Amino acid sequence: MEFSFGASATKILTTTGFSQLEGGDILMIGVACLMIYLAIWKKFEPLLLLPIGFGCLLANIPMSMMANTDAGGLLNFFYQGVKHEVLPPLIFLGVGALTDFGPLLANPTTLLLGAAAQIGVYITLIGAVLLGFNMHEASAIGIIGGADGPTSIFIASKLAPHLLAPIAVAAYSYMALVPLIQPPIMKLLTTEKERKIKMAQLKPISQTVKIIFPVVVTIVCCLMLPGVTPLLGMLMLGNLFRESGVTARLHETSETHLINIVTILLALAVGSSMTAESFLRLETLKIIVLGLLAFCIATAGGVLFGKLMCKMTGGRVNPLIGSAGVSAVPMAARVSQKVGAETDSSNFLLMHAMGPNVAGVIGSAVAAGVFISLFGDVAPLESHAAIADIVGTVEPGIKTAIAQVAGVAESLR
Amino acid sequence: MEASFLAAVNVSVLAMAVIFTVLVILIFTIKVLVRLVPYEAPPPKARRQPASAPSASGDDHVAVITATLAMHLGKSPDEFRIVNISQP
Repeated sequence: MEFSFGASATKILTTTGFSQLEGGDILMIGVACLMIYLAIWKKFEPLLLLPIGFGCLLANIPMSMMANTDAGGLLNFFYQGVKHEVLPPLIFLGVGALTDFGPLLANPTTLLLGAAAQIGVYITLIGAVLLGFNMHEASAIGIIGGADGPTSIFIASKLAPHLLAPIAVAAYSYMALVPLIQPPIMKLLTTEKERKIKMAQLKPISQTVKIIFPVVVTIVCCLMLPGVTPLLGMLMLGNLFRESGVTARLHETSETHLINIVTILLALAVGSSMTAESFLRLETLKIIVLGLLAFCIATAGGVLFGKLMCKMTGGRVNPLIGSAGVSAVPMAARVSQKVGAETDSSNFLLMHAMGPNVAGVIGSAVAAGVFISLFGDVAPLESHAAIADIVGTVEPGIKTAIAQVAGVAESLR
Repeated sequence: MEASFLAAVNVSVLAMAVIFTVLVILIFTIKVLVRLVPYEAPPPKARRQPASAPSASGDDHVAVITATLAMHLGKSPDEFRIVNISQP
């Protein structure tokens, strides 16, 4: 083979990423660097923003094969976990293992605060429809108000996969900004007298109740909204690992190594979906604005329902705990504590706010379940994304058998 | 646009109703559970006596100490027996 220095140099130059670099790629690399900066130096949700930002950086390097759409690429492989709805439920398993439902069980009426905060999801849904999104897209955007990253990703990948990147980024960015977004709204909607209300100490809960609770929630909620079973089922399984006392190793793994590993995979996969083509659109700007609206209305809804509960209980509920109904565990509960302590330093609201905070997790999962029931494809066997891929690769006989089972199920319906 | 708006409002009202229904069912379930299985304070712990002989739960410790001592002394574990572990 004849070697020509000039030809080889030209070939090397044409195969560098620089030769393919476009304006959109440069802008997205800038966005990725901004996210990395915010994560490291501003401490904004660093566990998520750092890998998301780095995933975005990798995805926007031309010819790197690191975008989520690059079949055969590393991050495309990770992205299959998002596409097939595997990673968000595993995050929920870890969250369940980390969560103590004790404050919620001690004061179960705080579940209503978790429900009230979901108003942000639905006001945003209406706003998104008015801005021209269809119902599937509007549902995926609205769930940002649930302040629950894995739920947002789960719903977006199911109902509007083309909007996954901006939705995930908006959800996690606003979760990081909870300490900045919530306090002004909380102070605006409450009086100083209300903020000073001291709540009665929570009564202790039997360990047996703590063990039975996740099983009951799984049966009740998953029977009513089967579409949310992957999320809620895993959340409750993780909590059962924690409370049962007989699965110490599984509990420890779920709350540490598993959730950490899955967080890396999920965040990199989300970052890999932030390519210039998918992110640099007018829709992204609309989603960022709608996401902020969702967060603000959810906070206001929780606080206003807290005020209602305060009135109805004769002043025994501090309305500040209502803002924790937006989920974002445990940051939103810490914000309730902080704002309460600013008015009266001897007022300790943290444990009281943990009730609505974990109720918010259940509430946003239920809200997601409603969307899946209305717009998702929970019933047909072959239409499920994961099964459809499997069906495409298995033996024809098995495929026929699955089709027959689906036919029988259809005829029974 | 108007039809979409009305559909969105309908979905929102329906969904909020479902969420409140599910969570109210959970509230009543929790209240029934808490009533059926009330909290019982754990019995006060008995004062710990200094261990005069290795207990069954300390078998693992005895095994580890025996193996370590045997290695250190260059003897077989059968040649000696640990009868007492006292904690400072």
